[in-house]
Amino acid sequence: MSNSYSKPILPKPDTKRVVINVDGADVEVPDGTNLIEALKTIGIDTPHFCYHQDLPVAGNCRQCMIETDGPRGMGLAIACYTPVRAGMKVATDRSSEKVKIARKSVMEFLLANHPLDCPICDKAGECTLQDNYMAAGKHESRMRDDIGKQYKGSPEFRHEDSKGQERGGKHIDIGPRVVLDQERCILCDRCTRFMRDVAGSEQLYIAARGDHAFIGTFPGQPLDHEYDLNVTDICPVGALTGKHFRFQQRVWMLSKTETVAPDDSLGANITVEHHDDQAWRIMPRRNPDVNASWISNATRLQYRRLSEDRLASGSFRGTEVRLADAIERAGGLVQSARKVALVASGHLTIEDNAAILAMAGAFGSRVEVFGGSWLSVGAPDGIARSGDPVANRMGCKLLGVPDNLDDLVRRAGEFDVLVVVGHDLWAADSAKAAALEKIPERIVLASWHDATVAKSTLAVGVRAWAEVRGTMVNCQGRIQRLNAAPVAPSPDLEPVWQVISKMGRLDWSSELDAFRFAQSRIPALAGLNYRTIGSMGRILEGVAP
Amino acid sequence: MSHHPVHVVQPADAEILPKLETPAVISRLEELIRRYPVKRGALLQALWLAQETLGWLPNAAIRWAALKCEVSPVHAYGVSMFYTMYKKEPTGRFFLQICQNVSCHIQGAENVIVHAEKVLGVASQGGNTADGLFTLLRVECLGACGNGPVMQVNDDFATDVVDGELAMPDGVGLTTERFDRIVAWCRARAVAIPTEPARDSLGGMLVGTGGHPGATGATSAVQGIYAPPAPALGLGSSRTEDGKVKLSWRAAPETTTFHLETRSGSGEFAALASLSGKDKEWIGELAVGTEVRLVAESAVGRAKPSNIAKVVA
Amino acid sequence: MATLTVTQNFGKGAQDIGVYKSLGGYSSLSSRLFDLSQFELIDLVMRSGLRGRGGAGFPTGMKWSFVPRNSGKPVYLVVNADEGEPGTFKDHRLMLEDPHRLIEGMIICGWALGVRTAYIYVRGEFLPAIEALNAAVKQAYEAGLLGKNIAGTSFCMDIYVHRGAGAYICGEETALINSLEGFKGQPRLKPPFPAVSGAFASPTCVNNVETLMALPWILENGPEAYAKMGTPKSPGTKVFSVSGDVKRPGVYEAPLGTPLMEILEGKDYCQGVVGTLKGVIPGGSSSPALTAEEAKQANLDYEALAGLKTMLGSGAVVAFNTTRSVVGMLASLTRFYAHESCGQCTPCREGTGYADRILKTVVSGHGRDGDLEQILDLAANFTSSTICPLGAADSAPIINFIGKFRSEFDAVVAKNPDRGEPRLSKNFRPGAFWE
Repeated sequence: MSNSYSKPILPKPDTKRVVINVDGADVEVPDGTNLIEALKTIGIDTPHFCYHQDLPVAGNCRQCMIETDGPRGMGLAIACYTPVRAGMKVATDRSSEKVKIARKSVMEFLLANHPLDCPICDKAGECTLQDNYMAAGKHESRMRDDIGKQYKGSPEFRHEDSKGQERGGKHIDIGPRVVLDQERCILCDRCTRFMRDVAGSEQLYIAARGDHAFIGTFPGQPLDHEYDLNVTDICPVGALTGKHFRFQQRVWMLSKTETVAPDDSLGANITVEHHDDQAWRIMPRRNPDVNASWISNATRLQYRRLSEDRLASGSFRGTEVRLADAIERAGGLVQSARKVALVASGHLTIEDNAAILAMAGAFGSRVEVFGGSWLSVGAPDGIARSGDPVANRMGCKLLGVPDNLDDLVRRAGEFDVLVVVGHDLWAADSAKAAALEKIPERIVLASWHDATVAKSTLAVGVRAWAEVRGTMVNCQGRIQRLNAAPVAPSPDLEPVWQVISKMGRLDWSSELDAFRFAQSRIPALAGLNYRTIGSMGRILEGVAP
Repeated sequence: MSHHPVHVVQPADAEILPKLETPAVISRLEELIRRYPVKRGALLQALWLAQETLGWLPNAAIRWAALKCEVSPVHAYGVSMFYTMYKKEPTGRFFLQICQNVSCHIQGAENVIVHAEKVLGVASQGGNTADGLFTLLRVECLGACGNGPVMQVNDDFATDVVDGELAMPDGVGLTTERFDRIVAWCRARAVAIPTEPARDSLGGMLVGTGGHPGATGATSAVQGIYAPPAPALGLGSSRTEDGKVKLSWRAAPETTTFHLETRSGSGEFAALASLSGKDKEWIGELAVGTEVRLVAESAVGRAKPSNIAKVVA
Repeated sequence: MATLTVTQNFGKGAQDIGVYKSLGGYSSLSSRLFDLSQFELIDLVMRSGLRGRGGAGFPTGMKWSFVPRNSGKPVYLVVNADEGEPGTFKDHRLMLEDPHRLIEGMIICGWALGVRTAYIYVRGEFLPAIEALNAAVKQAYEAGLLGKNIAGTSFCMDIYVHRGAGAYICGEETALINSLEGFKGQPRLKPPFPAVSGAFASPTCVNNVETLMALPWILENGPEAYAKMGTPKSPGTKVFSVSGDVKRPGVYEAPLGTPLMEILEGKDYCQGVVGTLKGVIPGGSSSPALTAEEAKQANLDYEALAGLKTMLGSGAVVAFNTTRSVVGMLASLTRFYAHESCGQCTPCREGTGYADRILKTVVSGHGRDGDLEQILDLAANFTSSTICPLGAADSAPIINFIGKFRSEFDAVVAKNPDRGEPRLSKNFRPGAFWE
């Protein structure tokens, strides 16, 4: 950073609107906002690289050129740093040849020293250089061998390639999770601004000057931070890429499912990106009121767990059995039990917990519901995590799930059947959980072969968080939607609510039945449905965190 | 080209830090830091200090400077790579920098540089001679074009040797003969004085709380009141279209009130009206020949009166 | 001999405060200054018509009037002594010869703006000048002219010399401020302007060395006397750095409006051109060069040179005769700008290097038809879309030299027998990369 630039002023629902003239037509736009945002509200997309809604404005790529009126008439200016002013005149590429040429020339300049890496670059398909070239460039190359390119790289990584050309830095291992390709960098400074202003730890910096400048860390020092993979999202090109995704999939093969993070009660908005029935990566989904554009590494790398150690069938007394048989047996055990301890889970959706409560209700005093968590709660990091690992704690509270796990430990002897649903009690606190081993029948519904499944007498595989449709309420009191990605390891796996419905003979046919039950318990859910909750979630009335 | 080499063996912290953590260096650094309201401001000078102490700037020294100036190490590294005078590898004892920019170019710099490369046996890209005595580098405009072609030997401007010393006499620019004389001078010096004496890279570091005997040190202090209050200036009188008297003037934006005073004939000025400090003109009725003046007032107090203007017909 | 306002102490040993005072120095630090309110002093400087002498020529009094007086923030004065414009060497000489005059000018400016802390940002290559400045500052402190309660008033001011480290771009005022603050010398987006938010987020005035050094004379002799010299729109005198093919290169002070040929040939100045004049760069390398014909009509003031589609700039005059290759001159300049680009914005960062590489290809005998057009087109594209004027500073000589001396460039391209080859490499075949 060399200056005190500020974050862009984004339009809000209550921002006053003013009339400006764009390409000869009068239009109404939000006052005082950065012009690039104002133009977006009237459907005009301005190509850009260095601008980002959640980062301080840098204004260095010069791609978002427009013309605006100043004391000396119309002149070129960058849209990201020009504030809306009532009555201003703006010319975009639709009406100004000068703007067209300026934008096109920036593309030529950026590509002049850029390596021809598209065929081997992970960013292809979501690369801003490719996109902006198609939108605003499309120039014919005027480069030739004897003119040569000035490839970017630090002194320690520059090298000569097999053709004798002077090259920059290629596929550098700069940290546990990130790969750096200095040649591809367009020096937009986004990663620097992110690490300094959002992550709060300046580990990347553009060194040297002119076309010899390069991005890097302090020599020998790794890029290592809980949020370091976000730089691979915001990097407009393939300079910073994630090791986990390197050469795994071409992005245009991936389908996207919108959901929320299951590992933290802030519920950072994410997409699970999948192809061929497998999740290949998780990407953040922008929600200015929840996680902005960021997710932690822990959240991001969760997708790998979806295909590791999955409990894809049932197991009875250590022997694998068919899921349908396991579910039937589980239902039978509950029906014939004297007293059942049914442990709900804040890691599961509202729908799943609604089913648990509904089943308990159906069996009367024979089934007692327990809830809560033994996991320790940390502090919010101010970026995309609240520190509370129980994602749906608020949802459970609203449903009336009790917080009484320690009671269960005390009274374990009263029960002959224990049902633990989506809750790895033995990993959370094996000392306390040991007391539950005196309960003779221990039924566990789980997605993974975890410590609790190892202590079960009957285990039933269920779909994981990314494979179900449902809702959770985050620590802000916001209800958010989960959607189902087709990545379950077996088509026989069912969501928790459905298994519980079978066990408890609730006869529910979809999540909507579960949601309706939840509405009967939570007044704040009245009148809502999945559509009205929307993709950004909704703050529930009267639910003060 | 700037002085950034490809492969340098970086000494470890254990080798570098003891040389920097001496009382002499620390006290000078503390003086430097006190000159800026934010520690970060002292970074360039801290890097100069480290370079002067070590002869060049290894990464360990850059990290040291970063710590002292409370910036991230990568920030200090980026800054050290941005400026060309920070040496990222040791140079020879005599660092010869010859300007290749337009005025020196016209005056024959290329000739001299090619000659220098031949004489020293090293390219002019910042390489060191085999005996470690010289480093030769082409540089950009050195701001002494009247003496073109211009050369610097370490920190001194030198286009000739005069009376046994390096000098840049008026109108004297580098030629191949003068270059040879300077090289001979350097070689003789290396024999006579085994090690080049240290040169104060900050040009006379002064000692006091802020780097000067009377200085207060780092300050984001605001100047107190020291100057007299601002009077109104350029008071002039004219007529409006409908015949009224118009008075106009210039005044400082901090003026809170204007006291309009008039006098007819001899005698004292008497207050006529009080005007807002934002006013730049007054329109009213006054007899021709009346003398007017304006006394501006601000938070500091009353200023001296403006010039006297006479109401015209 | 014209009146001298800043160079009158040259050669008199005025580096020493005793000598400086005996020559009339520091006389303005008296009731002449101390009775003035800030407003009056700024008004006085406005009436003198003094314009920034670093290159932009912005009226100094007006620049001072933009600095708020009651913001509650400290006001910084940063002297721009980062003289790097090729051809310019006047500030270097001024600081070596008369450092106390600069200090006196700084105190006057400090009085006008309420400056508590001032920095002199000197380029790193000027160590002898830095030494002279530090010695003079020390003497000034000892004489009670700096520090607390200057000359018995309640005005306090400190001056620190700040050494740069080799970057031409730091001559741009916001880059200068960034460098002062410990960052890379990269220019800032504007607004905010330095007068409102500059160094350390506080109001800052950046003035050139020569501009400040004119103030003691103006205070002593009155603004009207200064405004009477020069031309109505370019009042006063200017210090010109003259080099190249002249008999007596050097630093000369002359009234603005003096004919260029007078400076090149006058007996008080350079006393003649060496060889036959081919052209003159009038105001530093970023100013379009004049042909010999144009030079004969040129007067050295802001308006006259603007009328000839060039600029006065820093007043660095470089004369070149008919034996000099304009192609070589331009090549040294494109290399310079590519080397000095700060790298922040795309057009300048990539464009200056690209244009330089093409020109080098031409100079090395491998130029092709269309290369010159490409250089001109690239230059046009990095002229008006950059953050700071360095892009335009590179495009001016490119467009101008190629425009006015086209035949010289064509002749170099003509030396390549393959110049008619298509622009793609002879060896280019799609798919060759994979073989």
